[in-house]
Amino acid sequence: MKRRDFFKTAAVVGVATVGSSAFGSNVAMREPIDSRTPQKINFPEKRPMITHSNRPPLLEAPRSTFSQVITPNDEFFVRWHLPDIPTFIDTDKYAIRITGNVAKPYELTLKELKEDFEQIEVTAVVQCGGNSRSAFVPITGGVQWGSGAMGCAKWKGVRLKDVLKRAGMKEGSHWVNFNGMEKPAYDKTPDFVRELNLDELNEDVMIAYQMNDEDLPYLNGFPTRLIVPGYYSDSWVKMIKDIVVTKDHTPLFFMDQAYRIAANATHGETPDHLAKMTKPITRMNIKSFIGFPDEGAEVEFQSQLVVRGVAFDGGIGIEKVLISLDNGKTWKEAMLGIDYGRYAYRAFRYSFRPNEKGNLSIMAKAIDHLGQEQPLAKDVPWDRGGYMFNGIDIVTIKIV
Amino acid sequence: MKKLLLILAFCTAMFAQVTKAVEVPYISYEIKMGKGFDEVNANCLMCHSFGYITNQGPQSRAFWKGKVDKMITHFKAPIAKGDAEIIVNYLAKHYGNGK
Ligand code: HEC
Repeated sequence: MKRRDFFKTAAVVGVATVGSSAFGSNVAMREPIDSRTPQKINFPEKRPMITHSNRPPLLEAPRSTFSQVITPNDEFFVRWHLPDIPTFIDTDKYAIRITGNVAKPYELTLKELKEDFEQIEVTAVVQCGGNSRSAFVPITGGVQWGSGAMGCAKWKGVRLKDVLKRAGMKEGSHWVNFNGMEKPAYDKTPDFVRELNLDELNEDVMIAYQMNDEDLPYLNGFPTRLIVPGYYSDSWVKMIKDIVVTKDHTPLFFMDQAYRIAANATHGETPDHLAKMTKPITRMNIKSFIGFPDEGAEVEFQSQLVVRGVAFDGGIGIEKVLISLDNGKTWKEAMLGIDYGRYAYRAFRYSFRPNEKGNLSIMAKAIDHLGQEQPLAKDVPWDRGGYMFNGIDIVTIKIV
Repeated sequence: MKKLLLILAFCTAMFAQVTKAVEVPYISYEIKMGKGFDEVNANCLMCHSFGYITNQGPQSRAFWKGKVDKMITHFKAPIAKGDAEIIVNYLAKHYGNGK
């Protein structure tokens, strides 16, 4: 999608979600599941996380991770699709193949990647398109994530454009395919290959080899992964093996069947009236999440409580974050932390003294520079894949 | 020359964290016993853990039939017709919501 179109559609979404109630009587969106806790199991280079699967690994970060503006590598969520993932990569032999509709196909070693191109850094959020999927009722396809399938890191690498330039793209090139080293257990199962249109490749799209000043953790795609700032993580291919330039769109399961939403302005549909036209999910919508306190936490009456969390979107930038302590009747502005760029988390914090005992619900709502804001969970449009949930987060604590 | 050596040392250090094969822990996701378990065990572990199944929560028979069909049509799971039916019955019984 071109940038201009993006702003157009985004603006429409903002308006349409306000006060929408009629998605059909059987749709009842809710807050995502928040009751799961990390298992006492360490995956390589990770601390214990919520473990949906070990094979392929599906690891989710708990709420407390999101009181930090940079997600530590060992708390960063993990999401693979296919079970055969190399457990060792010889970095001297590792190379990315760049082929297809190019004049000079070549193999790019890690050393060349680090020495032959301009090295750049970007701080960017990566979020699974299905993050918070457990908010969708009726249930939709895919892993029932809570809200921890996201993270924000400082990525270091080189521009994809520079890497493609060396190969000399031939006339008529429109698409680029990315294949990582993960493989299906059964050779007839579709491989996880993703495709981007050349129009989508701006200066920010990169091949990264470092995350928060360390090598990428193995489970986050060591030794290289694609960074597509602003986009959902299905495009952030890990352990890159092949980059193929093509003239035409390649039929691909994980582009043509999975990771798609209704191609209408709200991207909403109902189980009884599924949209006929769909399109790939691309840019993230505005979202915020409270990292502290935890759901159900006990807080002392009249003590100083500092609510902390993160807010982000697909690149427009966070204007403000509002907090409500009275179920959305009134909203007060939270303080924003340092701006690490338009693709990064913006930390927020809100300090107050609870002056009434009993249950207290804390709500957080982010607003972007264009004035678009997060809807209430119940107003987020339902879609069959359970993508792009961005409902207002609510944490209920007990004042004792 | 001194500078070059420094850079080399730096590179080695960076890779030190993955110098031999990492080991992804094995987790045996608890799954209910009952009629059809053998078929589930034989057909549903090839491509992913049982975590994928239990993570879905209790769902309707139609949901589980849809999932088994999806495994066969989209992911090419080699599951015999008879087994597919037994598996749907098992899932509807042990991971069902009564619908
Ligand atoms: C040939 C490989 C294969 C086999 C065999 C297989 N699956 Fe899957 N299954 C997949 C793939 C691939 C996914 C998607 C993985 C991902 O996105 O992480 C998946 C995902 C799932 C999901 C998650 C929901 C969804 O829609 O993605 C469920 C539930 C599931 N499988 C159930 C089963 C059951 C039950 C069986 C046994 C009848 C089974 N699978 C056998 C390949 C397989």
